[in-house]
Amino acid sequence: MSKKEYKLEAKELNAYYGGFHALKGINIAMEEKTVTAFIGPSGCGKSTFLRTFNRMNDYIEGFRVEGEILLDSRDIYDKKVRVDELRKEVGMVFQKPNPFPKSIFENVVYGLKIQGIKKKSVLEEAAERTLRQAALWDEVKDKLQKSALALSGGQQQRLCIARALASQPSVLLMDEPASALDPISTAKVEELIYELKKEYTIVIVTHNMQQAGRVSDYTAFFYIGELVEYSKTKAMFTSPKDTRTQNYITGRFG
Amino acid sequence: MPHIDIELEKLQEKLLEMWDVVDYQLVSSREAVLNHDLELTRKVVKLGKKVNRFDVKIDRQCENFFALFNPVAVDLRQVLATLKINANLERIGDTAEGICRIVEKLKEPVSKELAEESRLLEMYDKALSMFTAARKVFVTYDAEAAREVLKQDKLLNKIYRKSDKVIASYMSENPEGVETGLHLYNIIKKIERVGDQVTNIAEEIIFYHDAKVMKHKSRKKKDKE
Repeated sequence: MSKKEYKLEAKELNAYYGGFHALKGINIAMEEKTVTAFIGPSGCGKSTFLRTFNRMNDYIEGFRVEGEILLDSRDIYDKKVRVDELRKEVGMVFQKPNPFPKSIFENVVYGLKIQGIKKKSVLEEAAERTLRQAALWDEVKDKLQKSALALSGGQQQRLCIARALASQPSVLLMDEPASALDPISTAKVEELIYELKKEYTIVIVTHNMQQAGRVSDYTAFFYIGELVEYSKTKAMFTSPKDTRTQNYITGRFG
Repeated sequence: MPHIDIELEKLQEKLLEMWDVVDYQLVSSREAVLNHDLELTRKVVKLGKKVNRFDVKIDRQCENFFALFNPVAVDLRQVLATLKINANLERIGDTAEGICRIVEKLKEPVSKELAEESRLLEMYDKALSMFTAARKVFVTYDAEAAREVLKQDKLLNKIYRKSDKVIASYMSENPEGVETGLHLYNIIKKIERVGDQVTNIAEEIIFYHDAKVMKHKSRKKKDKE
């Protein structure tokens, strides 16, 4: 029997902020084109873990990892890996929409321009494709040159998703992508995640348990730096194996 | 289509699939009674297992839906109604199976005269038409048609109430047919139950669409609502 190929894997991953042991021996394997939600109380390590997948933690002083993070079976902490190349492959969307103070169009093609792509037709094609993917095209197609800051919060977040998609990643990391949005915008982003998983592998950190239920195929529950439970979302939300998971998802924690 | 609607649609599709299997069981049980068709009775009994699997599957789908989508308002009522319709469909399937087991005990088909006198066929046809009408209003909701299903149960109750006398007199006139009479009475009782179960289903459909609770209400109140 051939060994199953996973899109993302962590093997015996430990992470430290100086002397603080933030992630403790994490092992996880995520399949391609699935949505995995990371849940857990504040400070449990879920965002730290998410950021190890595109090495966003590298900038933090005193931060170090042990163990392996594999993307398509390649260790992304290997010395030969170029971080800029890695980030093309692994896009990221943050909690607060953070468009640049530039036009909508410039925001979407920013990454491509940095990569040296200048041809107008290529940039335009990429802008339309990703804005469509982010379900924003119809709302902005007539005002691409307007400032991105004039968009609503929900639109700005979808713009940031379009920007992340422009460099054609295969993985999308989302750190509480809807927590700063109103319910309608949240629903739009959630629908978008549901659509995007047809093409991308998505990992989402969320504080909102209902959101994890609605959007994800798999859920991982973290507690004090440990991965307590990882299973299909259906299974976790109907019959969690660990008492800590049960207490957390039913709101009886602590 | 929003993700939640896709899941609700899947739930409805699964319930309708089950509905059709139970419909086949019910129609076949009627044929089996009239023709003493033992091959058909075996088929109906065998399908019971399939219906049980639907029952478990739909329960599980509803459980998952509650856990993952935290439904409210009409979505919540749809899933609650689905759970109860599922249970009633499973019971109707069981009833059809029960009738077939009685047929297996009968030595010959129920005679036309006796079937007519006891109004067995009339009952069966009414129960079947109620069942079909309920499926129709489940798919395309029509408030009036749903309430019509509730009213139709009256006839089944009426025939059932009178059937004991008819069958008692048949048995006293035909001492050799006591066993047949008892079996027939049991079948009639079961069809009357089907009427009640379809009524429950129609009440759940009204609850789902109109948010009105019809169960345990007097006939008069039901007519008013």
